[in-house]
Amino acid sequence: MNALPDRYASDELVLRHPSDGRTLAQRLSKRYAARITGAFMVPGREGSFAPLPDDLPPALAQALRSRGVEQLYSHQAEAWAATQSGAHVAVVTPTASGKSLCYTLPVITAAMTQHAKALYLFPTKALAQDQVAELLELNQAGALGVKAFTFDGDTPGDARQAIRLHGDIVVSNPDMLHQAILPHHTKWAQFFENLRYVVIDEVHTYRGVFGSHVANVIRRLKRVCAFYGVSPQFILCSATIGNPKEHAEALIEDAVTAITESGAPTGDKHVLLWNPPVVNPDLGLRASARSQTNRIARLAIKSGMKTLVFAQSRTMVEVLTKYLKDVFDNDPRKPARIRAYRGGYLPKERRAAEREMRAGSIDGIVSTSALELGVDIGSLDVVVLNGYPGSVAATWQRFGRAGRRQQSALGVLVASSDPLDQYLVRHPEFFQGATPEHARIQPDQPLILLDHIRCAAFELPFVGDEMFGTEIATPWLDVLGEEGVLHREGDRWEWIADSYPAIAVSLRSVADGNFVVVDRTNGRQMIIAEVDYTAAPVTLYEGAIHMIQSVPYQVERLDWEGRKAYVTRTQADYYTDAIDYTKLKVLDCFDTSNAGCGQAHHGEVHVVRRVPGYKKIRFYSHENIGYGSVNLPDQELHTTAVWWQLAQVVLDAAFEDRQQALDGFLGAAYALHIVATVAVMAEARDLQKSVGSGDGAWFVSADVSGRGQIRGTDGQPAALAPDAPFTPTVYLYDAFPGGIGQSEPLFNRREDLVAQSVTLIERCDCRGGCPACVGPVLAADEDAATTPKALALRVLALLVAL
Amino acid sequence: MSALVNKLRQLRTESGQSPAIALPPKPTISADVLRLIQGRSRIQRVTQRATSADRFVPGVEIAPGLYFIEAFMDWGCPTPLIETAFARWEEPVAHHRLLHFDTETTGLAGGTGTRAWMIGAANWMADGRFRLRQLTTTTMGAEVAMLRTFADWIEPDTVLVSYNGKSYDSPLLRTRYRLARLPDRIHGLGHLDLLHPVRRHWKGVWENCRLATAERELLGVVREDDLPGSEAPAAWLTYLRGGSAVNLRRVMTHNAQDLKSLAGILLHMARLGATPINAVDMPQ
Repeated sequence: MNALPDRYASDELVLRHPSDGRTLAQRLSKRYAARITGAFMVPGREGSFAPLPDDLPPALAQALRSRGVEQLYSHQAEAWAATQSGAHVAVVTPTASGKSLCYTLPVITAAMTQHAKALYLFPTKALAQDQVAELLELNQAGALGVKAFTFDGDTPGDARQAIRLHGDIVVSNPDMLHQAILPHHTKWAQFFENLRYVVIDEVHTYRGVFGSHVANVIRRLKRVCAFYGVSPQFILCSATIGNPKEHAEALIEDAVTAITESGAPTGDKHVLLWNPPVVNPDLGLRASARSQTNRIARLAIKSGMKTLVFAQSRTMVEVLTKYLKDVFDNDPRKPARIRAYRGGYLPKERRAAEREMRAGSIDGIVSTSALELGVDIGSLDVVVLNGYPGSVAATWQRFGRAGRRQQSALGVLVASSDPLDQYLVRHPEFFQGATPEHARIQPDQPLILLDHIRCAAFELPFVGDEMFGTEIATPWLDVLGEEGVLHREGDRWEWIADSYPAIAVSLRSVADGNFVVVDRTNGRQMIIAEVDYTAAPVTLYEGAIHMIQSVPYQVERLDWEGRKAYVTRTQADYYTDAIDYTKLKVLDCFDTSNAGCGQAHHGEVHVVRRVPGYKKIRFYSHENIGYGSVNLPDQELHTTAVWWQLAQVVLDAAFEDRQQALDGFLGAAYALHIVATVAVMAEARDLQKSVGSGDGAWFVSADVSGRGQIRGTDGQPAALAPDAPFTPTVYLYDAFPGGIGQSEPLFNRREDLVAQSVTLIERCDCRGGCPACVGPVLAADEDAATTPKALALRVLALLVAL
Repeated sequence: MSALVNKLRQLRTESGQSPAIALPPKPTISADVLRLIQGRSRIQRVTQRATSADRFVPGVEIAPGLYFIEAFMDWGCPTPLIETAFARWEEPVAHHRLLHFDTETTGLAGGTGTRAWMIGAANWMADGRFRLRQLTTTTMGAEVAMLRTFADWIEPDTVLVSYNGKSYDSPLLRTRYRLARLPDRIHGLGHLDLLHPVRRHWKGVWENCRLATAERELLGVVREDDLPGSEAPAAWLTYLRGGSAVNLRRVMTHNAQDLKSLAGILLHMARLGATPINAVDMPQ
């Protein structure tokens, strides 16, 4: 009994009796119809089973039975057959479908019958520890004699040698393999000589830059294994992505048997897309996602359903937990019904939370993405996403947490005001029909490849025409020879430097120029955050207000060369917004095609980025209260891009003046950027936009009033001579040196992107423009014929394929 | 090649790493590589190209690139059985079983990329004379011959004597044997690492427990014009790249003295016995 009166008496209108996912979905759809932009159902499925295989060792089969496993799901039996045939296998089934048995059975069988060893790679320590716990339980249940250990940064020094010599199954992670195991492989000689299986879990997380690095670590692993005379079998597990077999094959550079049909039974899954109501129509402001999530979770828990809420930040986890605890946990004598879960908690606390969730004694959990991966937390009925996690695949991964065998489950995606969220929630048909994004890697990205060839040369000398991955390593070895780390003698390149290359290579970035943020409040010196090289000039200039977990700090000093920013806590009532100019020059054009009355191109570009100053903007009122100047070096970038441009005559005909054409281009660029980011499953900052002239003579940025302002190559405002050539161009470029492979797929989908941008703007509810379609606009731009929206549409109309 | 280097250099600057130094152009390589990249590489030190006239390495070249020096002398006056209580061993060891050894390497980074380019070993013969042997490689290819020769000096009952060898020299050599696919004769040998008993006795008494300090305090050895151990890697690299052998020879002298001091400290410790004594001992 709550001691306080329930202040949400109106909730009773929604709830009557205990319900399931379907009933709750129906009730929410009825009461909040205006906020629900999409509703659909994914039908459940019957289970498909197979008997325990005959060739399983009897002791192992007995151990399984003693733990309640009398038969296998069809996909587990398929995995057994495929591994026994010697193939590399990719298991692509949803969360909680029993993926781990797909690799546990072959691995333990090989350990028992041939003393063969296995290496497991997990992305987090929590998952690694779970695995070892499960293996030990199974081992004990059958006295199987298999020894499994975690080997990571926390493993004490004196335990390491014992694990190297005696471990049958070593559970580690890609960073440890890269920095500690491979560069000391002779200490692992016995392990490698008997290595039969390499199990890599959650491989869909190895994409983009991280995935490109991991693919190279796997190349090095295979190379070291070849030195010891072994060629291990890979077993990969992936969540549902658009291209699981192709991605697995790209990671290990070998053919893979993909198992994609799950035999585990599931109930129906109902999905709702929820857009918070508009509270200020003029500005297009909506209620916060947080308020909606709170309400939905409260209703779900009150109707007796186990609920999991995903929040996008650790702060938001704490906020939502507090709201729900106020309602459900205000009697301290009773056990807590609501729990928060996030990476910052101690491992012991997290283990305790997971146990309670599995036991069913928790009614509501609020978590960050930490629970997106496979940690076992039992069955849930409702999952609420507070904000779009950034990809369709991640959304389904999170929804996958809800669902019991016979009962229907509910997943609700609540959109925030972020442009990507608004795009998704206003295009429910896109979300419903979308195949999950494709995972992409580029293991031959030059900087990444060079770093790993350097590490590989440290591990074993290169000889003659030896290949690394798909290329002969010789040109790279010559570069490393020039660098002074390798010495060539005859046809051998050997490591000669007094350095340990793996230490300097982070698997998560291309640049190694990360900045650390040092808190100097009250005389302390504590590192509180890390910011990468491209984000630093726009967030860490002197005077910047830098938010960490919604707590404001002001940057007092930036040591550019030393890569350090010194900050103190501040109480300022404003935030800062950097003015950011980029100018682009085309170096090489790989491909061109017509695009309506204009052209689309794909090629190599040179980008210069400068931050000359910043605006001070008061919280809540968003008034501009001042400026500051910034004095930082320009950042230069060679990368790949896709760009559209229109000829002068076409523009002169379509617009009354050049200012309008510029404003239209800026709006079109904004919309194209949103659409393109979704299309390549990119984080917003991996793909950048810029508007300028193709020869780098001038570029356009939004000035303080939101209008397009031409600037010359020196960054100063300029006016364009009336008879000067005028070919404004909108560029979308990869924000990594050398490019990371986003431009080509975008070029291939160029017509689609233009069409989707048009739809995005047309369907937006705002009057003249807003951050969800063409970018922030002022109330002054309300004249119907020339609103920023109208201008952007006019430019895009000229680019639509005829 | 220069285009590739230039491209990498540029890419590297853009990603926030430090800029490079200009290099002379080299013959070009594969077209694919040139197309993909435009950066430049990370150069941390200028690779030295100067050649020198002084290339003299003392010793006999017993295999291509492998030089061997052997010297006999009176040093140490050992008793037939050496007491080992100072190292908390149970039994004394016959003096001819002891093999003092010390390596010179390419650095302290550890891992499979570090190699030994010189192995020095010393032992007492049956007649009490002290034999000092050194193997020096002047090419990378000579490493295998060096490892094989050193393995021949080891018997199953050999007891190694070193200074910090348990943590450094021994694991390093075992790694090199493994990489060369040679049998590892070091595994399982008795090993007296004098650093640890020296620390037990004199940590906190002397300013540090380095070999140079121990030899000065216990044996009265003061070296003149000694090349510090930290400069040994560079001495070899210089020679390897065609430069002068003068520092290489200085390292050989340094290594020989290290071995003699090692033997001297061993005898001193054997006479001390098990209990640490804080009194400063007079040199022999």
